[in-house]
Amino acid sequence: MEGQPLTVIIEYSEYNDSVAGLVRRIGSMDVAFSVSVDGRQTRIDLADVYYIENVDRKMFVYTGSDVYRLDATMAQTEEMSADTDLVRISRTCIINTGHLREIRQVKNSHLEAVLDNGEMLIVSRKYLQDIKKVFQRG
Amino acid sequence: MNMKKVLKDTCILAALMILSVFVISIIWSGVTEEIGLVLKLFGLAFIISLANFLFDEYVNLSIIMSYVVKYFAICAVVMLYGFIAGWFYPSNFWMTFIYVGVVLILAYSIDSFRVKRDIEFINRQIAGRSKS
Repeated sequence: MEGQPLTVIIEYSEYNDSVAGLVRRIGSMDVAFSVSVDGRQTRIDLADVYYIENVDRKMFVYTGSDVYRLDATMAQTEEMSADTDLVRISRTCIINTGHLREIRQVKNSHLEAVLDNGEMLIVSRKYLQDIKKVFQRG
Repeated sequence: MNMKKVLKDTCILAALMILSVFVISIIWSGVTEEIGLVLKLFGLAFIISLANFLFDEYVNLSIIMSYVVKYFAICAVVMLYGFIAGWFYPSNFWMTFIYVGVVLILAYSIDSFRVKRDIEFINRQIAGRSKS
């Protein structure tokens, strides 16, 4: 019904990692970012975010096809995205693991994250454990 | 049993035990030569760990290149620190290259194995997610 908050009932025989992961996913459906494009404010759901990048101390949100300006710092963004599918992959970049297609090592060289729109982002080895933790949460 | 965690906790506990025993010894009988050596080693470990953290945060090189750069940087730090602390005779400073080399080869082997294993785990999870 219009105006009613989203209500989801989850039934389970045992509360395990899969259920916890499902609860977290549903909870993060409400997470959205206030962004601006061409001077006008709008909101982007977390599910639509591919990655967030810090370029010259300015934060940008990238969706599958558009780029928006985010008025927040890297630390604030990380705080907002705690317990969601977003994870930091380098000093300047946070990705949505929901859109991650693959992590690959380029011939014993640097690591790359391939997103499902084909975009590739450099992954710092230092943050590989953090990415792994997102998948370990279920 | 998570052996990695047990080993990590062992190292932390051993370091805390050494520091506690030394603090009591320092209060009791002052800084002896042996205590001074261990404190200097802790100081060196702190400098190397800090430099390593900053390097990993700001520099993004290939795994091999990062270890090559780290090798020369750590050799330089150890040599400088060693000369200040009086660890080396002028004739045997080159031993630094061997000591640091052995430690870094071990670290590189563990690191590259761990990276490979983590990538495989992540990609397996992604593949599983796509199927379900």
